[in-house]
Amino acid sequence: MAEVIVAENLIKRYGNFEAVHGIDFSVSEGACFGLLGPNGAGKSTTIRMICCLAEISGGRLSVLGHDAHPGNLMIKRQLGVVSQEDYLDPSLTVRENVELHGRFYGMGYRQAKIRAQDLLVFLQLEDKGREQVRSLSGGMRRRAVIARALMGTPRILILDEPTTGLDPQARLLVWSKIRELKQEGVTILLTTHYMDEAQRLADDLVVIDHGRILERGTPDDLIARVVGTDCLEIAECDPSFGQTLVERIQPLGIISDWQGDSLMLFSSDMDPVLAQLQKEKWLPAQYYRRRASLEDVFLRLTGRDLRE
Amino acid sequence: MNVNQQWRHGALMVFRRNFLSWVKYYRSSILLNFGEPLTNLLALGFGLGAYVATMAGVPFVDFIGPGLLAVTAMNAVTFDMTFEAYDRLNENGIYQAMITAPLTVPQIVAGEYLWEAFRSLLYGSVFLLVLLLLGLVHSWWALVVPLPLLVTGIMFSGPALLVASRARNHEQLFYYFTLVITPMFMFSGVFFPIARLPVLIQDFIVLTPLFHVVNVVRALVLGHLSAGLVWDVVWILGYTVLFSWLPIRSLRRRLTG
Repeated sequence: MAEVIVAENLIKRYGNFEAVHGIDFSVSEGACFGLLGPNGAGKSTTIRMICCLAEISGGRLSVLGHDAHPGNLMIKRQLGVVSQEDYLDPSLTVRENVELHGRFYGMGYRQAKIRAQDLLVFLQLEDKGREQVRSLSGGMRRRAVIARALMGTPRILILDEPTTGLDPQARLLVWSKIRELKQEGVTILLTTHYMDEAQRLADDLVVIDHGRILERGTPDDLIARVVGTDCLEIAECDPSFGQTLVERIQPLGIISDWQGDSLMLFSSDMDPVLAQLQKEKWLPAQYYRRRASLEDVFLRLTGRDLRE
Repeated sequence: MNVNQQWRHGALMVFRRNFLSWVKYYRSSILLNFGEPLTNLLALGFGLGAYVATMAGVPFVDFIGPGLLAVTAMNAVTFDMTFEAYDRLNENGIYQAMITAPLTVPQIVAGEYLWEAFRSLLYGSVFLLVLLLLGLVHSWWALVVPLPLLVTGIMFSGPALLVASRARNHEQLFYYFTLVITPMFMFSGVFFPIARLPVLIQDFIVLTPLFHVVNVVRALVLGHLSAGLVWDVVWILGYTVLFSWLPIRSLRRRLTG
């Protein structure tokens, strides 16, 4: 499959501060590519460079075969952007917002009207077209922004934290729409703080922190590689007890990680670990066995320090 | 569409955005833009005018009427390009939404100028109508007034948009009014001819843009045309070209930094 975004040793500096330190990644056409990382990791900076909203400071960034730089309309005409902030025009109705954006892409009056109507239906906003943006709920605003981003029939849709602040029902609706778009062949670049979102939607992802790529792969691949698929979670674990327990089973090749006051033990298979703990009467009274998730991978890679 | 057509279409759509927004509140907008100059005209023109019978050979109210017309156009543009533009940039992300679509900073700025030319034309022309109803228009040349209004709308936009793009909060926008707009309003020959001011101050006033707009509009409304007006027109055109570049760099830094 063709690669629609290629970053090679991509660097972004703001004065002396290097926000992105030479990252490499590529996005295949038609894929949903996840860009994950804590706040301040360099995600938004990378997105801004891809959207031709910020100059690159070094390396190479090619989007749809063109070098990305501010004002490159060859790229921008083929992108749809759902930015972190809604940036909906509060003085216009939902329909006006969506139609006008299509006209920014060069569409004529009738063409924009027809496409806006189709997209309002697609995002289940057809009853809200005449409403002022102010009166919309968070979920409706997000859907309006997605409708707006689709006006130009983009080849790449950029979703920068598309479901932050939404309730679970609204998130499910947004996810199902993203999947439908993917089936239509739209390439999707997704940033998110929600690991369940990335796990559901992304075919391929990178975890970045402090401007560097820490890991890349498919969600399942990353889970298997970084922590192992099987997880034993001991909630409210006494630190010294946990420490000793980890030392006792270390020879079995487990990975341990503290998430708050919970101790996580990871391995590809926890059966032998459980058996040994049982035998040595070291098994805690309360524990919870589950499949390891992308969240475990994320916390393991980026640490537990609060970022803000 | 070829490249030029695409460019114009984009700028026109920026104009369209402002128009769609404006039609929703034009009643209050018109009231706000006329309250002050109309009060000035009535209170000063007829009130003070009862004591100051003539100014430069014409009745006082006839003298200040065209001056206030020029001020109305300047203020209509300046308010929109400071407070409203500040909100478009900092509060509502209007420019941010435009720049993620395939629009460029020069297109956004051109669309804004087009819009301000329209505002200047509209608010100035309505004020001209008020002058007509009050019997203060004395020449058919007044029909030409919309032309300088269009140009000065663009002229006053550039500096105001520069201020809006650099201001960190609304308070900083007031500096522009206190330090630039109000002194121009008081000293540009709106209320009295500048001929009796110290020469140094006169020389300085000639360097400010509003002065020339007042001269042109007054000459057209009163029918007092003279060859000196050519210089006023040259100043206005020169400033328009010079000022129109002002906000581009600063906006570019804000939107694509």
